[in-house]
Amino acid sequence: MTRQNKGRRLLALFGLAFMVCPFAAAQSLHIPPHQRFVLKNGLTVLLLEKRGVPLVDVFAMVKSGAAADPTGQEGLASVTASLLRKGTKTRTAQQFAAEFDYIGGTFEANAGAEFTDVSAEFLTKDLAKGLDLFSDALLHPTFPENETQKILAQGLDEVKAEKDEPQAVLRLYYNGYLYGANPFGHPPDGDELSLKRIQRDAVVKFYEGNYAPGNTILGIAGEFDATELRKKLEETFGAWPAKAVVNAPITAAVPSKGKRLLLIDKPDATQTYFAIGNIGTAVNDPDRVAIRVVNTIFGGRFTSELNEALRVESGYTYGAGSAFESRKTPGPFAIRSFTKNETTTPAIDLALQVLQKLHTNGVTAEQLASAKSYIKGQFPPSIETSQQLARRIVTDEFYGMSDDEVNQLEARVDAVTPEMAKQVIAKHFPLDNLVFVLIGKASAIRPAVKKYADKMDERAISDPGYWPPPSGASK
Amino acid sequence: MRKIRLCGIVSLLMCGFGICAAATRGQSQEFPVSARTLKNGMKVLVQPDRSIPNVALYIFYRIGSRNEHPGTTGLSHFFEHMMFNGAKKYGPGDLDKVMEANGGSNNAYTTQNVTVYQDWFPRSALPLIYDIEADRIRDLTFDPKKIASEREVVASERRLSVDNDNFGLLDEQLRATAFLAHPYQWPVVGWMSDIEHWTMEDLKHHFEMGYSPSNATMVVVGDVSAEEIFQLCEKYIEPIPSHTPPPPVTTVEPEQLGERRLVVHKPAELPILMIGYHVPQTNNPDFYALNILRSVLFQGESSRMYQRLVDKDQLALDVSSDVDSAFDPTLLVITAQPRQGVDPQACEKAIYEELEKLKGAPISDQELEKAKNARLVEFYHDMRTINGRANTIGTYEVFLGDYNKLFDAAKSYSGVTKEDVRRAARKYFGPNNRTIATLLPENEGKAKQ
Repeated sequence: MTRQNKGRRLLALFGLAFMVCPFAAAQSLHIPPHQRFVLKNGLTVLLLEKRGVPLVDVFAMVKSGAAADPTGQEGLASVTASLLRKGTKTRTAQQFAAEFDYIGGTFEANAGAEFTDVSAEFLTKDLAKGLDLFSDALLHPTFPENETQKILAQGLDEVKAEKDEPQAVLRLYYNGYLYGANPFGHPPDGDELSLKRIQRDAVVKFYEGNYAPGNTILGIAGEFDATELRKKLEETFGAWPAKAVVNAPITAAVPSKGKRLLLIDKPDATQTYFAIGNIGTAVNDPDRVAIRVVNTIFGGRFTSELNEALRVESGYTYGAGSAFESRKTPGPFAIRSFTKNETTTPAIDLALQVLQKLHTNGVTAEQLASAKSYIKGQFPPSIETSQQLARRIVTDEFYGMSDDEVNQLEARVDAVTPEMAKQVIAKHFPLDNLVFVLIGKASAIRPAVKKYADKMDERAISDPGYWPPPSGASK
Repeated sequence: MRKIRLCGIVSLLMCGFGICAAATRGQSQEFPVSARTLKNGMKVLVQPDRSIPNVALYIFYRIGSRNEHPGTTGLSHFFEHMMFNGAKKYGPGDLDKVMEANGGSNNAYTTQNVTVYQDWFPRSALPLIYDIEADRIRDLTFDPKKIASEREVVASERRLSVDNDNFGLLDEQLRATAFLAHPYQWPVVGWMSDIEHWTMEDLKHHFEMGYSPSNATMVVVGDVSAEEIFQLCEKYIEPIPSHTPPPPVTTVEPEQLGERRLVVHKPAELPILMIGYHVPQTNNPDFYALNILRSVLFQGESSRMYQRLVDKDQLALDVSSDVDSAFDPTLLVITAQPRQGVDPQACEKAIYEELEKLKGAPISDQELEKAKNARLVEFYHDMRTINGRANTIGTYEVFLGDYNKLFDAAKSYSGVTKEDVRRAARKYFGPNNRTIATLLPENEGKAKQ
């Protein structure tokens, strides 16, 4: 709840930017030593001992996510993940909840675009119990019919609830409009129509087809003895039968040509929420460090050019920024902000001017030096906890990135030159080809925003689905 | 599937209470804190930790929206913004530019009770941060142009967090109804018409009232030694003169004598139900029993409310509770989002039934133990980062009067009995003590009238 927390900045707004993006760290800072081994059944395991607080963090990544949802059944990966804890061969959903809550632990399972993550945290003293519960959910779910129906019905209402929060759904419309039929356009949690088409059989099939040791990376970080833990893991996770998984690679999306605009009508909105951009970059892009430096200057921090222009100088908004969400194949790039209905076009005009200025003027030596310090100075707290470290080593393994992503970060950041910045701007920051998505009061802003694009589409926020309009939807 | 709430990160910073506490092994030895009070009255708490080469610095000012008056509501929060907009040495925009160029970042938050400034930076920026903080505490400037543009920024923030956020909107209406006299009745962000009308004089007065060093507590956690922090404080902070602190808030909310109810009609996909009960301030002895009670009712999927409303009866998408850290008696707010097609009154009825059960049979040993275990995990969860520790140590110091209570929390929680929980339920969950706020999707609302 925001009520008591009128913070100065909306940290959450752009915080996702590099969440899955294996960048970074100071020279003095290294990923702590950790061990990697592969069990006989094909499960890759990463163990990282970290002292400080008596907690253990477990993070299992199943290398199939929402992109693997069958067309028309968007949300299947997410529903499957939600059901892991809702009944196993030896525990009902209630028993699982009671046992996990008793040790004060937390358990979460979510499907993102590229993968499903299942994570847990508990005290070191409860390691055996915590692992027993965690492996039970991952290896032995039974997907009871009544629990499946509950999760599906809740999912439908959650889609509706989320549409009451324009900021939260902007991303879904934007990805859908940007990616079209590419799997990265799927709403990861499904929509009002797709969830109705999902049956228990499909869930079981998804689980059987994707949850397998060879398709999973298990990372554990925290206070424990790695040698003992390894033995324990061989007993529990080692019993997970190997099976072949066909994991089709995701086709790389091609950047959108020209300019097009999607207007989502929310008749009671007093503020327009907008995203502007195009297809961005892949995680392993050779320019990744230079992109990070340039985006820090353009839209990745409080004194970024976007926030300076739209917030600090003009007062159009509480926050403006930009982010590359990098994945195995190119993820989205977007400029995002919001402003009151009356200043919708002045704010968007200004954002576009800032983008144009980046291309025309490039970045100054001073900006470059500042951004480098900022990235290096802000990196250490991102690998501070065992939870962050478990996630980090697992995602690096998934993306095929070495520890040098962290260990060499400072050197790589320092090596970015003005010339590299210039090339990166020309190559990776879209200018003439842009996709616009706006959520706002259409009757107030429609005539004025037509000017941004040759092609304009429109839907009501209450229409089922996002974009493209799902088959069976009213529009 | 999880709902994305944009308030996620900010609320993490604020979870101080209801979330943190407890321990079994001598936690004050695990996380040793050094304390010193400067000559100007500012208390400084330092907790060295060299695990990363960074520092988290928090300054808690004991001033918030409870120190405001009708006509200038939201001033504390607006002032928080102005603290970044220029002082004598670091002019408008300089603070952020210099801090970020040296690897640092910052933020701040305002509540009904406090205004808190946060800096996160590599240890190399340590003297610079002190120079910046001293500059704005001593010599803040008020540029009319900055005031004008910042006013728009705050209006945008209000549109974001209240006007276009159904939960924010309903919560604002709930508090405005539950409190008749006490300043907790107005929103921290302020009413829009007040945001539009603050004057320069209002701002200057607020600075003089709230920003005396003696009205602040500084907490520093990270790659530092206590001695070097105390030396920096002596050089930069101690020379800043103290002045009169804010006058005490003397208004006492009169006892609520009967149920209050309000409805908000608004276009929405789903309704929202909030029920507020008056409960005591944070330093009241019932604090611990109420937290255990809330844990039994709301924490985790095995909690009573989740089992009843979300799982068994499938009346709500989620159900939760919230209590602010507060100097004065405050509200315990229960929030439920009814499922599509479910009458919010059905949720309300189920919630009352569960509350009634707590007044009858005592909770089980298992439930009590579970709540205490959850507290222990949360304690370590909060203490695992330098940022979490700075916020938690400061919150205990400011709201419970002594940071050491953080390390005694285990004892305090283990002292809570089943009977304490039942007594608290009986004392606070009466019908006369509650205010019910319901947001009805516009069409549905009209149909019912």
